[in-house]
Amino acid sequence: MTDVTDVTETETGTDSGGAARSGRDLSSAKDMIVCEGVSKWYGDFQALEGVSATIKEQEVVVVLGPSGSGKSTWIRCINRLEEHQEGLIVVDGVELSNDLRNIEKVRSEVGMVFQQFNLFPHLKVRDNVSLAPIWVRKKSKAEAEEQAQALLELVGIPEQADKFPGQLSGGQQQRVAIARALAMEPKIMLFDEPTSALDPEMIKEVLDVMKNLALSGMTMMVVTHEMGFAKEVADRIIFMEEGQIVEVGTPEHFFTNPTEDRTKLFLSQILA
Amino acid sequence: MTAPTNQASSTHEAVSQRVPLWRDAVVVKWTAQVATLVLVLASLWFLATQAGDNLTARNINIGFDFLERPPDIQLSEGIDTHPATGGRALWVGMVNTLRMAIVGIVFATLLGVVVGLARLSNNWLIRRLATIWVETLRNIPLLVQIIFYFSVLAVLPRVDMDTGPINGWLHISNKGLAMPRVFIADGFYQWATVMLVGGLAAHYVRRRRVDLHNESGANTSPVLWSLGTLAVFGMVGLFIHPLFGFIEPIMGAVASLLDSLPILLPQVLLSATAVLLAGRWIREFLAGRRSAVGHLALSDDDYFRIIFTAIAALMAVTVAIYWTGLSSWILNSGSDLFRVIETKFNVDGAARPFDAMRPDIVKPGKFANYGINGLTMTVGFAAVFFGVVFYTSAFIGEIVRGGILAVPKGQTEAASAVGLHRSQSLRHIILPQAIRVILPPLGNQYLNLTKNTSLAIAVGYSDIVQVGQTVYNQTGKTLPVVAIWMLFYLATSLTISVVVNYYNVRMKLVER
Amino acid sequence: MSEFAGAGAEIGSFYPMPRPDASPPVEEHLPPREWLKKNLFSNVFNSALTVAAGLLIIVMLRGLLGFIFNPLRQWNATAVNLRLLMTHAYPADQYLRVWFSVAAFLILTGLSIAVWRAGSRVPVPDVGKRVTALGVFVTLSALLAPFSGSARLSWLAVAVFLLASGLSVSRTSKDRSVSSLSLLVGVCGLAALSLWVIPYGHHSFVSDRTPKILAEPGTVDLTTKLPWTIMLLIAVAAYGVGLLLRDRIPAKVARTSLVLAWILTPILLLFLVLRDPDFDMGHVLSTDIPIFLVFAVLGSALLFWLTNPETGEVGRIVAVTVLFLAFGSFLMPMRMVIRIFMLLLAIFSLAGPTFSGDRRTRHNYVAIWTGTAVFVSWLITAINTPSTAPVPGQFFLGGFSMTLMVAFFTLLVSFPLGVMLALARTSNMPIFRLLATWFIEFVRGVPLITILIFFSVMVPLFLPDGMDLSEVAAVTIGYALFASAYLAENVRGGIQSVTRGQHEAAEAVGMTTSQKTVFIVLPQALRVAIPPLVGQVIGTFKETSLLIIIGLFDLLFVAKAIIPNQTAFMGSTRENLMVISLIYWVISYSMSKASMRIEKRVGLGEQ
Repeated sequence: MTDVTDVTETETGTDSGGAARSGRDLSSAKDMIVCEGVSKWYGDFQALEGVSATIKEQEVVVVLGPSGSGKSTWIRCINRLEEHQEGLIVVDGVELSNDLRNIEKVRSEVGMVFQQFNLFPHLKVRDNVSLAPIWVRKKSKAEAEEQAQALLELVGIPEQADKFPGQLSGGQQQRVAIARALAMEPKIMLFDEPTSALDPEMIKEVLDVMKNLALSGMTMMVVTHEMGFAKEVADRIIFMEEGQIVEVGTPEHFFTNPTEDRTKLFLSQILA
Repeated sequence: MTAPTNQASSTHEAVSQRVPLWRDAVVVKWTAQVATLVLVLASLWFLATQAGDNLTARNINIGFDFLERPPDIQLSEGIDTHPATGGRALWVGMVNTLRMAIVGIVFATLLGVVVGLARLSNNWLIRRLATIWVETLRNIPLLVQIIFYFSVLAVLPRVDMDTGPINGWLHISNKGLAMPRVFIADGFYQWATVMLVGGLAAHYVRRRRVDLHNESGANTSPVLWSLGTLAVFGMVGLFIHPLFGFIEPIMGAVASLLDSLPILLPQVLLSATAVLLAGRWIREFLAGRRSAVGHLALSDDDYFRIIFTAIAALMAVTVAIYWTGLSSWILNSGSDLFRVIETKFNVDGAARPFDAMRPDIVKPGKFANYGINGLTMTVGFAAVFFGVVFYTSAFIGEIVRGGILAVPKGQTEAASAVGLHRSQSLRHIILPQAIRVILPPLGNQYLNLTKNTSLAIAVGYSDIVQVGQTVYNQTGKTLPVVAIWMLFYLATSLTISVVVNYYNVRMKLVER
Repeated sequence: MSEFAGAGAEIGSFYPMPRPDASPPVEEHLPPREWLKKNLFSNVFNSALTVAAGLLIIVMLRGLLGFIFNPLRQWNATAVNLRLLMTHAYPADQYLRVWFSVAAFLILTGLSIAVWRAGSRVPVPDVGKRVTALGVFVTLSALLAPFSGSARLSWLAVAVFLLASGLSVSRTSKDRSVSSLSLLVGVCGLAALSLWVIPYGHHSFVSDRTPKILAEPGTVDLTTKLPWTIMLLIAVAAYGVGLLLRDRIPAKVARTSLVLAWILTPILLLFLVLRDPDFDMGHVLSTDIPIFLVFAVLGSALLFWLTNPETGEVGRIVAVTVLFLAFGSFLMPMRMVIRIFMLLLAIFSLAGPTFSGDRRTRHNYVAIWTGTAVFVSWLITAINTPSTAPVPGQFFLGGFSMTLMVAFFTLLVSFPLGVMLALARTSNMPIFRLLATWFIEFVRGVPLITILIFFSVMVPLFLPDGMDLSEVAAVTIGYALFASAYLAENVRGGIQSVTRGQHEAAEAVGMTTSQKTVFIVLPQALRVAIPPLVGQVIGTFKETSLLIIIGLFDLLFVAKAIIPNQTAFMGSTRENLMVISLIYWVISYSMSKASMRIEKRVGLGEQ
C-alpha cells in the first residue's frame, strides 16, 4: 500500500523536472490503470509480489528491469492474458475479474503489441488489421478495411496491405502489429518488448511509430530495453526486480540520481 | 481468486460488485460442461432404454450364459478345435488373434526395416524396387490383398502324399503349408528353470565383462560371453534338468495356501491399493502446485482432477468390496495357476524338454488334410499373415526411412570426421537418434496391425471376430459378443501402447 | 516447413509423408556408363545386389506376365461386367442418370482445376525419359511374356516405337516444357480414340471353362465409347469455362462456391438424379412446406435478433434455451423433421453471438440459415420419398458407386465431428476433454469391423418406433464415428502446432474463444493437418472395402462374390481382384501425390 503513495509523491514531486515531456501535469488526469497489491504465482515461483501502481490518462510509462523480473507478466495481467491471483486491477473503471463482460470490455479497450509480433500468418496484412474491428467491434467490412488502410498509412506501410505477414521484414511486421492493435481504437496501448526480436536496423522504424503514438496522446505502458526511448518519451519510469516495483520516477530522476542500490546496479550494467 | 474487497476504493464503480452468474467466467464454463455431460448421459440413457425395449419386444435376452453352454462349433484351427463351451471357443479365437498379431508384428518389423533401408540404398535398382513395393501395397486396401492371397493359395494343388517340394518334410497345398514341428515336451519346464538360472548367470557375466572393459579398455565382447554362458546352461540343462523336480511340492503348497485364504484379503488389498495410489497421486499433484512459501494456487481444472481421482478411487473400492466375484476370481485363478505349474513339474525324470515331429497327412473322411504332427500354416492364416505383414511393412518402411532422414546430415559428417566407419556411424550415431523419431509411429503401426488381423473373418481364419460371429449367429447373442470383442481389443491395444510408451520414455532418458 | 513434418511424424499419421527435405538424392546428369557405375556397380556388394535384384525382377515379371497372358485367364469377366462393378443392379434403361452424374463430377473437376490452377509445367525431356522407360519396360515384357512369335514381334515393334520417340524427345532442350494438363488430356484423348479404333472386344469367351476366342473386331459397345468420349469433351469444356470465369469473378467467391458445390453435388445427385424421388405433392404442400416456412420465418427472426451486437448475454441465454428445447423435443412425440430443425436452429443460435455484426452481416447469417433450412427440408423429404427407380436388393446403388457414396458421406459427417472432438480434446474444459479423450481412445482401440458389425446389427434396436434406417445408413454412421476419431487426432496435431502467441494475439484484440477458434486457430490448424487429413481420406476410401463383410454390395463384393459365380466366369476371382486393385490403387496413389503437391504449395506460399 505504501507503494501507491510513493508513486504519487514521486510523480508530483519531480513534475517540473525537465524531462523530454516536461510540463505535462497529469495529476488531475483520470486514472486509466490502477493496480493494487497484484500477486501471481507460477507453481512455486512467485512472478509478481504485491505490485501497486496507477497510470493516468495520456501518460507514457516505461517499465524497466532485468529479464525475469516480472515486467511482462505484469503487463500481460493488465489485459488478462494471465490471471492474477491476488490484488486488484482496474482498467478505465472496469475491474478485471471473472466477469466475462468486463474481460471483453477491457480487452477491446487495451491494445497489445508482442515481442514476437504474433501476426496471423494465414491472413493478408489488411485482414490482420481489419478482422477484429469487423467481428469484435462489429464494424462493416468496408468501413473496417478503409480504417485498416488508413492505419497502415499511419505506420508507414500502406503498400504492403495485400501481402502475407511472412513476406514482410520484422520491422514491418511489428508495425502491422501496432496497426492491428490501433484498429480496435484502444484507450491504452501495452507494448511487451516490441523491439527485442528485431534486427538493429529495424528498431528505429518501430520506435518512431511508437513515439508518434505517444505524442498523439495515447496512454502507453511499454516494457523495453531501449533506454533512449525511455529517456526521450517516458513520463515516468518504473523499475522492477524479482516481481516487485523497486523504484518509480521521471526519466530525469531515474537516469541521473536513482535512490535505490538495485536500480544503480542495473543502470551501471546497462549503460556500461 | 476473487479480489480482496477491503482494497476497493470508491472511485472504481465496478469494484466489488457481485458478478451476475451468467457473466461469471467460471460459472459459465462449468455450467456448459455439466450441461453437456448431462445431455450426453441422457442421450445414452435414451438409446439404452430404446434398445432395452426393443430387445424385450423381440424377445432377445442379452445374458452371458452362452459362455458356459456347449456351442455347436468347430474351429478351423487353434489350441482347441472342438471347444467345450462358448467361452472356450472365444478364448481359442483370442489366442489365434494374439498369435497372428505377435507373429505379424515380428515379421512386419523385420521386413519393414529392410524396405526402409532399401528405400535409402545407394543402389538405384534396389531403391526402385522398394519404392514400387511401398507404393503398390499401401495404396490397395488390405482386405483386397488378403482375399487376393487367399484366392491365389486356394488354387494350389490338392493335398496328398506327393504334395510339396520335399515330401515328408515340407508340404505345400491348397490346405496350406506344413513342415516339421519342434515342440515343448514334458521336461521343458524344468529345463526352462535351468535357463532362468542361466539367464541370471549370463546377466552377471555380461556385467563383469563390461566392468573389465571399462577398466582395461580392451575389447571384452560382453554380449558374446553372456550368450556363451546361456548356451552352456542350455546344453548342460538338457541333462541335469530333473534336479528341479523339487519345485513341484512348493507350487502345490502355494496353491493350497491361496485356496485357504479368505476373500476379505484381496478385497482389502485391492481397496488399499486404490486408496494408496489415489492418495499418492493427489499428494504429489498438490506438492507440484505448491509454492516454496507454501502458497497453493489451484485452478478449477486442478480441483476437477483431484475430485476425479478421488471418485475413481472410491469407485474402485466399491467395486472391490461389492463385487466379491472379482476377489474370489483372483484367488481361484491364482491357485489354478500354481496348480498348473505344479502339474508341469510332475514329470518323469528322464523326460526330454523338446521333441520334433514331421508333418503327416490324414484322411478322416472324404478329403485329405494335414494331421496334427507338423507345423502347419493354414491357407487362412497364410492369407492374413501375408496380408498384414506386407501391408504393414510398407508403412513401417516409410517410417524407418523418415526416421533416418530426420537425423541431420551434420551428424553423419561429424561421425566420419571423428573417424567412424559407415557401419559404426549407423549403429552408434544415426540409429539411436532415428529410433526416437521412429518409435511412436511404429507403435501406431503395431496397433493397426493388431486391429487389422480382424479382417481374418473374410478368409475364415478363426480369430476372435470370426469365432464371435459364428457364436452369435448360433446363439443370437450379438451384443455380449460385440462387448467381448471390444473389451479384448481395448485391452490388447492398451497393452501395446503401454509397452511402446515404456520404450519411448526409456529412449528419451537414454538420449538425455 | 519443419512444422508440417513434425506434426505428421508426431501423431504417426496413417499415411506417413516423407519430409519435404527427404527427397531422394538428386540424380545428376551423368553419361550412361558412369551413371551405371555410380548407381548400380559402385562396389562388389552393390554389384551383387544389382544382379540379385535384376534376377528377381526378371523372375517376378515372367511369373506375372505368364499369369496375365495365360489363355485360361478370364480378363473379360470385368469387361463384360463393367456395369455390375460400377453400379451393381442399377437399371440399364435409367443409365442416362448415371452418365449425368459422371458429367456433373467432371464439370466440377474441370472448373476446380482451372480455379485452383492445378497442374504444372513438365520439361519436355522428362516426358521423353518417361516414354523411354515405358519402352524399356515393354521390351522387357515382350521378351519375357509367353507370346507366340508374331505377337512378340508386334509388341517389340510397339516397344521400338516408344523407345525411338522417347529418346528423340528427351534430346530436346531442357527449357522447353509442356503443361501437365495437356499431357493428361492427350493421354485420355488417345484412350477415348482407341475405344473407336482398336477392337478391344475380340477377346471374348463364349463357353464357361473351355476358352474359345471370338473374333469380333470393333465390338466396344456404343453405350460405352460414346458416353466416355462425350465425358472427356465435357471435362475439357468445363476447364475452358473455368479459365474464362477465373478472371471474371474474385478467387475467394469462386473457390467457396466450388467447395460448396463439391459438398452438395453428391447429395443432390444421389437423392434427386440417381434415386429420382417420387414426391407426393399433397404431402409436400400440406406438411413439409408449412413446417419449413415456420422454421424459416421464426428462425430468421430469432437469428436476426441474436446476431445483433446489442443483444448481449440475454442472447446467449436464449440460445441455450433453444438447445434444451431441441433436446427436449426428443422426449415428446413429434415429427422427426421438427426435431432436426430444432437442433439445427439451436446450433445456429449458439453460433449467433460469435458472428454478430452490422446489418449486412446479420442479413448474410439469416440467408445462410434459410438456405440450410431449404436444403435440409428438401433432403428429408427426398429421403422419405420412395424412388421411381426401384431396383432389387437392399440399396439402389452398388459396386464402385456404393464405395464412393459411403466414402463421401463418411467424410462429410466425420469431418465436422472430428474437428469438434479435436477442439474438445484440446480445450481447457476438463469434462469436454475427458469425454472427447474417452471417445477417441475407445474408437481407436477397437477394429473398424467390430464397430461396423455393431452398427449394422444394433442401430435398428436403438431407434424409437416408427423410425428406420437402412443398413447402408447405419453402417455409414459407424464409419463416420470411426473416421472422426482418427480425424480428430490429425486435427489435434494441427491445433497443437498453432503457437501460444497466436492465441494471445487473438485474445488481446478482444476475440471471444469461439471467434478465436473459427478465425485464427482452425484455419491454421487445418492447413498444417492437410497431409495427415488426406491420408485419412485415402484410408477411409480403402476401408470402404470392409462393406463386403457386412454383406453390402460394394466394389469388392461384386468382384469377389458376384462375378466369379456367373457360369461364364467361374473362378475368375483373381482376375477381378487384380482389376479392382488397380482401381483402388490409381485413386489412392493420385490422391497421395496430389496431397504432396498441396503440401508443397501451402508450405511455400503463405507461411
